[in-house]
Amino acid sequence: MKYAFFPGCTMAYRLPFVEKSIRLVAPHFNIELVDLPFTCCPEPNSVRSFSDETWLALAARNLALAEKSKLDVLTACTGCHESFMTAKHELDTHPDRKDAVNEVLGEIGMEYTGVSAVKHMHQVLFDDIGPEAIAEKVKRPLELRVVTHSGCHMLRPEAILQIDDCEAPVKFDGLVEVLGIEPLEYMDKTMCCGTGTRRANREASFAILREKMTSMKMVNPDAAVVFCPSCFISFESGQRIVNKTFGTDFKLPVYYYTELLAVALEIPGMVPIIKAHRVKGPVTASAPGVPGEGRPVEAKN
Amino acid sequence: MTDTKTPEEIESIIESIRPCFQCGICASSCPVFRVAPEINPRHAIDEIVKTGVIEPDGTEWSCAYCLMCEQRCPMGVSLAHLLVAVKNISTEKGNAPEGLPEIIHSILSTGVIAQDSDLDKMREKYDLPPLKRPTAKEVRKVLELTGATDLLELYQSKGVGSD
Repeated sequence: MKYAFFPGCTMAYRLPFVEKSIRLVAPHFNIELVDLPFTCCPEPNSVRSFSDETWLALAARNLALAEKSKLDVLTACTGCHESFMTAKHELDTHPDRKDAVNEVLGEIGMEYTGVSAVKHMHQVLFDDIGPEAIAEKVKRPLELRVVTHSGCHMLRPEAILQIDDCEAPVKFDGLVEVLGIEPLEYMDKTMCCGTGTRRANREASFAILREKMTSMKMVNPDAAVVFCPSCFISFESGQRIVNKTFGTDFKLPVYYYTELLAVALEIPGMVPIIKAHRVKGPVTASAPGVPGEGRPVEAKN
Repeated sequence: MTDTKTPEEIESIIESIRPCFQCGICASSCPVFRVAPEINPRHAIDEIVKTGVIEPDGTEWSCAYCLMCEQRCPMGVSLAHLLVAVKNISTEKGNAPEGLPEIIHSILSTGVIAQDSDLDKMREKYDLPPLKRPTAKEVRKVLELTGATDLLELYQSKGVGSD
């Protein structure tokens, strides 16, 4: 399947190693990624807050670009995904807004019609490929205990996204399970990581992260697994600030799902990717192995 | 096509939140309220319904846009929709938080949110292709026609979000 790939600004420029893991994994599932000259999705919490019209028009421009290439869009960031899906819903259900947007797009020689679908990597892996097909490809079960964090915009608005049950999601846990990983149930599983208010209310945003990570820590996981680059940064870098601010002692490794998938499939090229992590975890290039297992999970390069 | 809300639009927004019966599930589901109880979505809605006007007081920017309030509202009130409107009005009054005009400026100049010129170098390290960028002209056109450049000028005249 061929997609217009939309890594999003955060992944492309702040977590390029995570983007690399997606590009390494894709061919193993017959996913072809096409790069197009996209703008920022645009980020809903900032750009839409600034101007609803600008947000809608820029999102429509990106979707129109994919339409031109007759491709569906594959997103890797839940923020971008929510932005596109919400914009698409707005455009497809409000003909007046669609007309107004197309007047703007007409000025740059583009038109939004709504034919391109938008899918998040999570959906392609679970709904299209399926956990069973992934399980068949696993060469090295990872035998970790993790907490999954879907991220707000993977789940909500539920009626528009329709990815999983927003209060009790199960699909992400299913995806980690087939890698030999035990997903742990924990309190506040669907709670926000705090990123959304970091710019406006820094103190509250890190207090939210403290609450979230306190709940995660209660089940003593080896790592947290995410499907969003913003949540990734929030947990990985944010925990140091939380520790400094609140005197906590979090040291939780964070992985984006496709990183673990690539290691479990023994896809070469993962050493520099795992090395790029700031909080070193049980899945490392030169690691002694998975805690309690004594079994190396070192990625072959 | 700009963002200035007409009295009819304001009225329709207020109408949409009128079903609220102050049950408070929005507040009890709000991660911001959990750590900063002075920020209370239930109170915010009550204030708007009671006064019939939308007067942003700055607390709207603390919303993390996690959408849990709207998910759980038993009356189907779209708080996200309301908050976008409140934030847009706040922006027009010149009260957007400092980093926000910077983001608009970044999109205007590069098409993306990334201001560091070494970022493509970081991509090279992982053998990733430089991402294709849109032309500056088309991005500017979209921002101009939707009122963002005018809004940005408002902030730049105050020394925020400039070059």
